Amino acid sequence: MHRARIVTAIIAATLGIVLAPAPAQAQETLKIGAINPYSGPLALYGDELARGYQLAVDEKNAKGGALGKKIELVRGDAGNPQQGIAVVDQLVTRDKVDLFIGTYISAVSNAASDAAQRYNKLYWDTNALASDLTERGLPNFVRVGPNAQAFAEMSVRALVELIPPALGKQPRDVSVWIEHEDSIYGKSIADNQKKLLEAKGVKVLGQGAHNFRAADLTDTVLRAKRANPDVWLQTGYVPDDNLLLKTAREQDFKPPVMVLVGTGDTQETLDALGVEYLEGVFVVSYPRPDISEKFGPGASAFLAAYRKAYNRDPIAPQSLTAYTGMRILLEAIDAAGSADAQKVRAVASAMDKPFNSYPSGAGVKFDDKFQNARAAITVIQWQGGKQVTVFPAEARATGVALKNTPRK
Amino acid sequence: MDALLHVLVIGMLLGGIYGLVSIGLNLIFGVIRIVNFAHGELVMLGMYGAYLVYSTMGLSPYVATLIVVPALFVIGIVLYRLVLQPLQTESSMQIFATFALLVIFQNVVLAFTRGEGFSVASGVAGMTLPLGEIRVTMSRLIILLAVTAAAIALHLFLKRTMLGKSIRAVTQDRQAARLMGINVERTFLITFGIGSALAGLAGALLSPIYTLSPGIGGNFILAAFAVVVLGGLGSVAGAYFGGLIVGLVEALAGFYVDPELKQAIWFLIFLAVLVVRPTGLFGQVGAEEIGFREQA
Repeated sequence: MHRARIVTAIIAATLGIVLAPAPAQAQETLKIGAINPYSGPLALYGDELARGYQLAVDEKNAKGGALGKKIELVRGDAGNPQQGIAVVDQLVTRDKVDLFIGTYISAVSNAASDAAQRYNKLYWDTNALASDLTERGLPNFVRVGPNAQAFAEMSVRALVELIPPALGKQPRDVSVWIEHEDSIYGKSIADNQKKLLEAKGVKVLGQGAHNFRAADLTDTVLRAKRANPDVWLQTGYVPDDNLLLKTAREQDFKPPVMVLVGTGDTQETLDALGVEYLEGVFVVSYPRPDISEKFGPGASAFLAAYRKAYNRDPIAPQSLTAYTGMRILLEAIDAAGSADAQKVRAVASAMDKPFNSYPSGAGVKFDDKFQNARAAITVIQWQGGKQVTVFPAEARATGVALKNTPRK
Repeated sequence: MDALLHVLVIGMLLGGIYGLVSIGLNLIFGVIRIVNFAHGELVMLGMYGAYLVYSTMGLSPYVATLIVVPALFVIGIVLYRLVLQPLQTESSMQIFATFALLVIFQNVVLAFTRGEGFSVASGVAGMTLPLGEIRVTMSRLIILLAVTAAAIALHLFLKRTMLGKSIRAVTQDRQAARLMGINVERTFLITFGIGSALAGLAGALLSPIYTLSPGIGGNFILAAFAVVVLGGLGSVAGAYFGGLIVGLVEALAGFYVDPELKQAIWFLIFLAVLVVRPTGLFGQVGAEEIGFREQA
């Protein structure tokens, strides 16, 4: 009898402690859920984006945070759409995040933002490229970074403004072979490139598609070689970029200019091809911290902060775009006085900053689908094993000139 | 005419790659009757092994085969002993087990490398041999030579040596072989080791060509299954010639039809072979049944 009472008391006390409402700490920080692949084959890039976000968050916290609270970044690991949905559920119910930011993988962004909409939470995308993300018209979605078409447009700008003078030709005398990996990513960019190039009078000799995981791309290279283009324009991923370049070297395919779109500007490609062969290859990619201060104010400060925080140089250029995207989000939240999706979107649609306002070279002006029309893309050239920004001209650091164009 | 010759050369070299990847798979499939879904991952481990040797000791992948091939032999034996032998009486479970190994290997390598794409450099690999106007890449020529040598060596091993004969006996009839005093379990163990070692050879020789990623085994495994079915289960000649045929068909389809469809075309052939002659071109009739003859 006596023991039973003690046991009951202990059980009651334990239950009381366990079931008591948790102290309302969540209200004291602004929690941002960062959705990216943090495991799996793309973890390298997911981590890189999160590092960019964290730098922006740390800077803002040093200035007092946002909405009078400290900002906390909560990672949500998602490598595919199903994980995206699950992690959004988890971050809202368990971690009580106020809004979301992301995302390296477009398909994940698509599913996760949809899930976030059910909780009426903002989904602020800084890096995902697929066009349908903004075409959908989801009421909680904003894309502050570039979309795939921005890559297509920049590649065409380079082919019209940068390359012809280097070849001593007029744009209409330049011929191009368009190559792309055969999923929606490569295909949508390639189709857009063809349309834009032909509108500018550039000769498109042909368009080739290949599987980015193919064991052999010799026939792909031979087709392009047969067409004998001035410019070989390829959109794909690292495995096919590397295999195409290796095969081109072996098959003696020497187009005067090679342009890669989206990938091909990291150590992985340098290791595969070597400094000498890569010399002069152009890559249309996210802006890098070597851009001029005039083009991207704060880019060098970003690089210094990154090096200080992580003891290395950025692994991929996506972090600068992620950092910029987070900065713009925090500005919008401050201006809105809230993390509410509709209020932030209203503030965002009113924002109007010209190009070259932010470290990545971006400005802010959202179109009616909430796509930032002033997101920044640049073109780098491999020079001496380094990725050097060469276009737009304003982005070039002093003393930078084109190398090995046309290729020897 | 010139273009055709060029495409045939490409096809043969590609066929060499497919043959080399498949020869180990075919041996395991034919003898132990296991569908080894993790075979592509064993090739991947061979590639990363070559990368490890290259990055730590600076040795060329061709020299690295001396280390990688025995290492994969040992790994194969350990895997068989620990994972597959206990499931000997449940052939369906063995298949699931190999699938589990596939997932484990991919994710372990992923965890260690964080998904960064490594490359193995080799001066020899990038050299090309001009054949008239055609350029034959050294790395692929070496693979074609290697698969030819491996096929011949394996054939002689199976025909002439005692161990080889016991492998053939076990392939034909497990029960009878056991009655004749052959240690069936040990034969399986060694066969799996040899199959894995061949996968390791393929991996090491392929490493200078591709950008390594944990999932790269998946690029080859479908082709390898097509080769094995086309060539015939358990037949060394089947893996060799099957590989060449698949490679030639892919190259011809890629050049004359459409590069986007080239893999679909050999899958069509794969299906046709399964319907018309399930044993494949060189296989023993009846060998296509998993669990052929009683397990004991």
